[in-house]
Amino acid sequence: MPRVLIIIPAYNEQETIAAVLASLREHAPDYDVVVIDDGSRDNTQSIARGAGAEVIRLPVNLGIGGAVQTGFKYAWRDGYDVAVQCDADGQHPVAQIPELVERLLRGDADLVIGSRYVANTTYIPSFFRRLGKSILSRVVDFFIGGGITDTTSGFRAVNRRALSVLARHYPEDYPEAEALVILHRSGLKAIEIPVQMFSRQGGESSIGAPHAVYYMAKVVLAILIDMFRKFTRTPGDE
Amino acid sequence: MPFLEQVNLQFAHRVGILGLSVLLMLVVLELMRRGWLKEKYALVWLATAGASVLVGIFPHVIVAAANTFHFQYLTVLFTVYFFFTLGLIMSFTVAISRLAERNRELTQELALLAHSVDKLERRLESGS
Repeated sequence: MPRVLIIIPAYNEQETIAAVLASLREHAPDYDVVVIDDGSRDNTQSIARGAGAEVIRLPVNLGIGGAVQTGFKYAWRDGYDVAVQCDADGQHPVAQIPELVERLLRGDADLVIGSRYVANTTYIPSFFRRLGKSILSRVVDFFIGGGITDTTSGFRAVNRRALSVLARHYPEDYPEAEALVILHRSGLKAIEIPVQMFSRQGGESSIGAPHAVYYMAKVVLAILIDMFRKFTRTPGDE
Repeated sequence: MPFLEQVNLQFAHRVGILGLSVLLMLVVLELMRRGWLKEKYALVWLATAGASVLVGIFPHVIVAAANTFHFQYLTVLFTVYFFFTLGLIMSFTVAISRLAERNRELTQELALLAHSVDKLERRLESGS
């Protein structure tokens, strides 16, 4: 039986974290869960602990990339076979985590993305998010040779080979699209399956319209530079 | 030939440059004495102050450059300082980026360590 860790990065998510953890216990009871509290100033930590989850508390806010990477490092060192990344705000369909994991365990991919665009989903993002994401998808597509439509989805599962890379190299903010390029440059393969995303249950989205331009420029620049970088893996058993 | 009129730096300018350079040196030395400035950065600043002193004492280099490019000597002086400052700021952003990277890794290690200590304590408490 492969060991699976679900990583939940959480920054000020006291409204939604309990529901997500309860949903996980119902739909994915065989998997371990770790909440990475990214220096929240609300009660995220105590609520998650109260719900019986393992909590790793970052003493200062590192942003989504630093938080998720903490989870990757934990998964890598604790010998997990699979790590699943899932948001704390209730947008990701927890019930479909076993589908991600089973698809990954077939062994022909190192990263499985839960995609919003592949098939019938009701998810409708705002104009700026749509614009930014469609440009980004095209850029990523160009560099990794196609196959992925939802490059910014943060609902994904990785195997140990991908963990060995991501535990060492993971972008700081808006990490999802760039991570695809990093894995591609490391010779690993990504695929996606359709999932049904929900709209937010509480809290605030981390990407607003004013950030769209910065977001685009930063990620596109990072991806261009990545094409000229070498990525090493963490030493150890894959 | 308007530029050739100023063959020498005015005396007041030379005194000003010398005075500011000496002041800069004193400030840097005081910062080092208080332990607020690392030696490797202090060296850059002392070299800057030293170069300024040399310009104050031997202004001919600047005047020669000014005449060659048909600039006012003050323009030459400020251009040199401007590019030097640009280089300095560049080296600072590199240093800050490296610090941020180390900070991220240390924060992650600290959090992972705190978590495993916490886990061990819980195991000890439930075991006893």
